[in-house]
Amino acid sequence: MRVFITGVGVVSSIGLGKEAFFASLAAGKSGITPVEAFDASNLGRSNAGEVKAFRARDHLTAAEARRMGRCSQMALAAARMAIADAALPDGALSGPRASVVLGTTMGEADVLEDLDHAWIAKGLPGVRRAWIPKYGSTLLPIHVARALGAEGAVLTLPAACAAGNYAVGLASDLIRAGKADVIVTGAAEMLQELQFSGFVRLAAMAPAKCQPFDLNRQGLILGEGAGVLILESEAHAVRRDARVLAEVGGHGMTCDAYHITRPHPEAAGSIGAMRQAIERSGLEPGAIDFVNAHGTGTKHNDSAESKVMREVFGERRVPISSMKSMLGHCMGAASALEAIGCLMTLETGIYPPTIGYETPDPECDVDVVANEAREGKADVVLNNSLAFGGYNSVTCLARPGKLPPPKVTAA
Amino acid sequence: MKPRAITGLGVASALGTGAYETLGGLADAARADAPRPAVASFDASAYGDPPIVEVPGFDPTKHLGDKGLRTLDRLTKLLVVAARLSLHDAGLKKDGQWAALAPERVGVCCSNAYGSLEAITELDRVAVLEDARYINPAKFPNTVSNSASGYVSIWEDLRALNVSVSDGNCGALDAIACADIFLETGRAEAILTGGGESMSEALFLAFDKLRVLGSNGAGARLGEGAAFHVLEPLERARARGAKVLATVTGYGTAFIAPKDEVTLLFASSEALERAIAAALADAGVTAKDVDLVVSGISGIARFDDEERAAIAQAVGAEVAVAAPKQVFGETLGAGGALAMSAALAWLDGAAPSCLVSGSAPSEVDTVLVTAVGYYGNASAVVMRRA
Repeated sequence: MRVFITGVGVVSSIGLGKEAFFASLAAGKSGITPVEAFDASNLGRSNAGEVKAFRARDHLTAAEARRMGRCSQMALAAARMAIADAALPDGALSGPRASVVLGTTMGEADVLEDLDHAWIAKGLPGVRRAWIPKYGSTLLPIHVARALGAEGAVLTLPAACAAGNYAVGLASDLIRAGKADVIVTGAAEMLQELQFSGFVRLAAMAPAKCQPFDLNRQGLILGEGAGVLILESEAHAVRRDARVLAEVGGHGMTCDAYHITRPHPEAAGSIGAMRQAIERSGLEPGAIDFVNAHGTGTKHNDSAESKVMREVFGERRVPISSMKSMLGHCMGAASALEAIGCLMTLETGIYPPTIGYETPDPECDVDVVANEAREGKADVVLNNSLAFGGYNSVTCLARPGKLPPPKVTAA
Repeated sequence: MKPRAITGLGVASALGTGAYETLGGLADAARADAPRPAVASFDASAYGDPPIVEVPGFDPTKHLGDKGLRTLDRLTKLLVVAARLSLHDAGLKKDGQWAALAPERVGVCCSNAYGSLEAITELDRVAVLEDARYINPAKFPNTVSNSASGYVSIWEDLRALNVSVSDGNCGALDAIACADIFLETGRAEAILTGGGESMSEALFLAFDKLRVLGSNGAGARLGEGAAFHVLEPLERARARGAKVLATVTGYGTAFIAPKDEVTLLFASSEALERAIAAALADAGVTAKDVDLVVSGISGIARFDDEERAAIAQAVGAEVAVAAPKQVFGETLGAGGALAMSAALAWLDGAAPSCLVSGSAPSEVDTVLVTAVGYYGNASAVVMRRA
């Protein structure tokens, strides 16, 4: 059973909705600006890919907006955009054959922050009882399923910075196994003060900009947003004559089992995940036209990832680029937004640029799409991600008709 | 689903730490009424005698040594201990060394609901009362929901996939569905499947403030614990000569939303009825085959009532229903995993305890495990004697 992507929705710092997002990616527009949500002045860092244009009430009813934190609000807004993009008719998502599988790192972080701050400032009586059930990463797919009428599995995969890929990967497995016809999948994450401070304290945050693969890269810049994709079984998509944006190929998942925050320096797990994604798509490495990098802009990540490219592709220099140079690192949402960015590449043949790229790093001897978008062959692309916990995940996405027929599932 | 063998068990629960300690304790349901030791995981002196059940005398150094534990939170230690015990019980490791399969072929599917709460509240306190510049970077990773699961792979060198699931009370049963699909697609040959939840002051206060805690059936006792079951394809488990404790043969889940706009906490018997029907169909059995239901009944009436109604409707009013949360407490993300551990004991011939309805069956061949989430979802798993 083939799995198709038939619609996408985007809440990002470089645009709301697919069209704005694609246009910004192709133009190399940065969404990284001084943070307004909280006062970061004493942390020595102030920039992030903050989504300033998002207003929940543009997408949600007043009651919906009230019962959710910002993370779920963005997820539901993106889900509604994706449904519109997929032209799914009313009722298409109701019932047990529709599921919601979403990823996140911290979920409803603003709800917990409010609860904690009230507890600290005013003691227990200051904590409003009605806020308590609003906390929990469990709630993301619950809120989305509730709004859309889906009654199948509702799953949250907290896979940190690879959560979007984990969600898309599991969703595609569930459809292939016949467990669902349609799955609303993707991920969401909100920018939040404690998480921002934590990355500063880990000495992982760059002063002003994110420069993946650059010799003088100084770390990551945080971001936020939501990326939601509608996955359908081939049968379901054909039955309703859906427009197919892309096919989900194989995906790879491994664990470094090495360090909680750093990738393994030899990158064996990450290499394994990429090879799995290629093999499970029935392809050879030569078929891959472009790789969307995890590309956080930290020393460790980008050099490990470059090693993966050399190991997997050998002498062939497959173009690679990191959208985090524009979006910042949107944590759980990153690989979902980037999967959607990959669809732009598949649709237009445009590889999005890695902006701010100035000085090549011998440790990162890869073909970076530097500063300006580039046009090229784009039949099959890979979306790479790594995460806290040593999680690695790679998803293969392809133009419709460009993947070999799926093999019968092997046990 | 194809039958999945459970070849190993590791548990840390209100009945102690280890595989057989927990199973043995269950037969002696009276222990649930034994006086509770003082709260160990936080300073509870301001809260009288809180309705909390912890893992008694939990000492991770006994299992993990005393190096490298300082920055790990309680959830991580509970999960790593359960993982280590399960790997040894399954014969995948012996005296800490791999004895069967390879690290690249063993994975983790781990449920947790509120694990990062302890770290986030601790660091929030530092940030607000002192300065965000003083938060401990070594503790920051614990604010990320999957960190405890990630540490399981790091400590036990499990390099196939590691997938964390967060679905409240249903999570540990939903982890079974994930593990099943990953075994089916050959992503691993064995998967440590289960979940964990740890006690903390913030978690206790949240539940206390919601007025759902209590004792003697009027409200839940908040619990903690961790359990991993090693799942393998049945034929492969037999081929490698593993002992098969039981098989998992079916899974189902459903979500039904409240009809009004305001309700958030919600359960419907209909969601669990659907989940049970799906799980029985998946297992190829009927309601008549179910000898015992191991439920998630916890003492919170509005959820328990829906669960009882669903069981009566989908399985029958006469069926024996056990509520191991009487012993374990409400353990949220670990709940389904501890329920499965209890089911293992009863499939193994121990006399079912913690019964809340029906009479104990003379023989238990087929168990239905149920879980009801707080937001409208419900899941069910079928287990059978090997």
